[in-house]
Amino acid sequence: MGMRTWSVTLLATAAAGMFSAGIARTHSDGITTDVARIRHVFIIVLENKNYTDTFGTSTQDPYLQKTLVPMGALLTQYYGTGHVSLDNYISMISGQAPTPDTVDDCIPGLTGTLGNYDDVTQTGWAPQGQVVATGGCIYPARVRTLVDQMTQVGLSWRGYMEDMGNDPARENASCGHPVIGVRTDRTNTAEAPSTAVPLGDAYATRHNPFVYFHSIIDSKSCKKNVVNLTHLQADLAQQSTTPNLVFITPNLCNDGHDGAGTGATGTTCANGQPGGLTSADEFLQTWVPRILASPAYREDGLLIVTFDESTYGAVTSSRNTTTGQTTVDITYAGQTCCDQQPGPNLSGVRPSTTTLVTTPTVVQNLVFAGFGGDRIGAVLVSPFIIPGSTSATPYNHYGLLRSLEDIFHVGGYLGYAADDPRAGYHLDTIGNDEAIFQHP
Amino acid sequence: MMRRSSSTRNHVRALLPQVALGIGAALGVAGRADAAASAQAELGRQIFFDTALSASGRLACASCHSPAHAYGPPDGAPVRKGGAGLDQPGLRAVPSLRYVLNRTPVWSKPFISSPTERLLEGDEPPAGGFGWDGRFDTLEAQAASPLLASNEMANRDPEEVTHKLAAAPYAELFKRVFGATIFADPEEAFAGAREALARFELEDPSFHPYRSKYDDYLDGRVSLSAQERRGLTLFDDVRGGSCAACHLDRKGADGSHPLFTDYQFEALGVPRNAQIPANADPDFHDEGLCGPLRNDQSGQKNYCGLFKTPGLRNVATRRVFFHNGRLHTLKEALQFYVRRDTHPSQWYPATGGVLDKFDDQPRNERGNIDVIDAPLTRSVGQAPVWTDAQIDDVIAFLETLTDRDATPAAPDPAADVASPAPSLSVSKLHLQR
Repeated sequence: MGMRTWSVTLLATAAAGMFSAGIARTHSDGITTDVARIRHVFIIVLENKNYTDTFGTSTQDPYLQKTLVPMGALLTQYYGTGHVSLDNYISMISGQAPTPDTVDDCIPGLTGTLGNYDDVTQTGWAPQGQVVATGGCIYPARVRTLVDQMTQVGLSWRGYMEDMGNDPARENASCGHPVIGVRTDRTNTAEAPSTAVPLGDAYATRHNPFVYFHSIIDSKSCKKNVVNLTHLQADLAQQSTTPNLVFITPNLCNDGHDGAGTGATGTTCANGQPGGLTSADEFLQTWVPRILASPAYREDGLLIVTFDESTYGAVTSSRNTTTGQTTVDITYAGQTCCDQQPGPNLSGVRPSTTTLVTTPTVVQNLVFAGFGGDRIGAVLVSPFIIPGSTSATPYNHYGLLRSLEDIFHVGGYLGYAADDPRAGYHLDTIGNDEAIFQHP
Repeated sequence: MMRRSSSTRNHVRALLPQVALGIGAALGVAGRADAAASAQAELGRQIFFDTALSASGRLACASCHSPAHAYGPPDGAPVRKGGAGLDQPGLRAVPSLRYVLNRTPVWSKPFISSPTERLLEGDEPPAGGFGWDGRFDTLEAQAASPLLASNEMANRDPEEVTHKLAAAPYAELFKRVFGATIFADPEEAFAGAREALARFELEDPSFHPYRSKYDDYLDGRVSLSAQERRGLTLFDDVRGGSCAACHLDRKGADGSHPLFTDYQFEALGVPRNAQIPANADPDFHDEGLCGPLRNDQSGQKNYCGLFKTPGLRNVATRRVFFHNGRLHTLKEALQFYVRRDTHPSQWYPATGGVLDKFDDQPRNERGNIDVIDAPLTRSVGQAPVWTDAQIDDVIAFLETLTDRDATPAAPDPAADVASPAPSLSVSKLHLQR
């Protein structure tokens, strides 16, 4: 153990010199629109919906489609960066591509109740500050995030996690995460209400990006800044108490992860709510008006509502009449935009076909045809937005990170938010999108 | 409601001798400042031990859920008998009431929106609810069942229960808690009795003492022996027994000690138990979550054969294992897990020379039985994941889960083999049946 730690440290030190790993690059914040005036950003991340469903065919999200979209701007070509969840959240705040474990939500074999919550096993660095890793989930302290950048320039941030700490045996109410180790994460499945936990607990660690970085969880600021959603309303009361970055993760029901949204028997969340886009829409109806009425938003705010990834999963089955065995293929398209790169750790992991279950009667294969997160869309609402506008400029979570780094003038870009001139890699920044933002 | 704390444990130490006194002992209630709630709990305690509430006059809650046996069965009888003549057998083994009651979630089956995630990380079985089939969401609802069931306390209706409550030595206490006119309304009185029972079960420290060697080990006060450590490793090994995947054995994020269950449902394919009279009818099947005692999920055929995962604290004191009490020693129970598929003829009968594996489940529903989670993935010809010596190691570990006040259960009084051998042959298994 001691030897491994020493070796990793040595490698990291050497690599840092080669690639400026984890170090923000300088740039000029050449924002051409009124985004330059934004000082408070509110992000709500929902779960697992296709763009065409969320902003097209679904009848479960009338508030999102018929109130927020006309009120704000719709980014029609916004993509997730991966499947299945955690890698998206991590890319949003760090620009890091997945490790072989974060790409699978740190759930061994992608099945089961208990997940891993263990340290990334780093073997080196790759260009654009990418951690080369054989596995693991929690990035070492030298891997920086957006909130480290913000702290450095004197800006405040908070992550508001619904249900976190409802069951203190699962996780703490602030900076809530499992004990570091293998098979220690009990938050993969929502806990229904009990006498001891009357509200139940549908917090999912894998939807909280902040606790996957030692730079955050080893800091005292984690307990102060990664808190239960119940803190938000008080924080919105005054501009001085509203963090510059407000990152909101609803619980597994209200982010649409659980439940079909119909309320039909057998399709609900653990707490009996309908879930799906129905509960997500109700969550937005509750919280968005509070945000929009806050002094901070009214002065210089931007609200972003998006999803972690789509659910472009096709499920096909075929039966071998000789053996009687049915083969089920679950396929993610894994589409990308914006010249997204897979990162250094996905060889043999994406694209791939993995057999999850083999029995005499059933074979289940998981097929990742690509490494992206597919098209999800995003809605932006701000006093500086052109109401009812749309933009077809492609964006993804790395682009979101770059855009936030521009908005907050943090002085550099992290990971894949940064340009790579050698590869001709460059992301658009949302603040320069003149299709949706007003001009000064 | 109540979470364990060091102060609670101190109360437990002080109160354990009083628990042993049974009815009439002046139990305090730890951790509650609410006098009304404490009075309810004291009332519930007296109801819990009151045999006069049964049609036979000889059966109380405590008769089956024996406080001396971690609120589990006092002996190895696979099912208990009730009714006016104490001659009506139940259907399932008595579970322990210790530890799990306040943390048992209401029955639920979260539905994952994404069909792909549903098939991956989200496709977990249902969880929670009280009883082997999880059919009661609250303790108050559960308490009605034994009071009225014809093969338990066998009261005709709430009115008969109320009549007995009004004549009980604690009738005045009942009136103080629920009002002087409470007995005029049988439904209200019946509800009050169930509420009081729930308060007793939730509040009384004897239901959650945390006085086992494993608790001491988790608190750093003792070390496990080499054999116990080997057993814990085997218990945890995901490629071996993988017991901890369902019987969670690690401290919580707040340092709370584990209860050794995830409350989820599982179909193990436990062999049919001929000692249960209902099983004399070959067409009768106890299929747990889909019936016959539970009927709201009877249409969910993929739920047939699933029973709730019990906690394992004090498991080494039991003499009756699994929902149907088919096995009577801990060694047998562990052997069943690791040899079910490698040596199926040890567990299941042969019909016409053909082994009837999973014989307690209708043939068209045997696909529900778990064959994908370790250690239930092997086949005939392969070695079991554990040797007998390793099973002994796991038993040594499980014995560390025994609370210091828990008494080992007596053998099954009806068994013709007083103490079944640890490793039963087919013939011995058939003899027992």
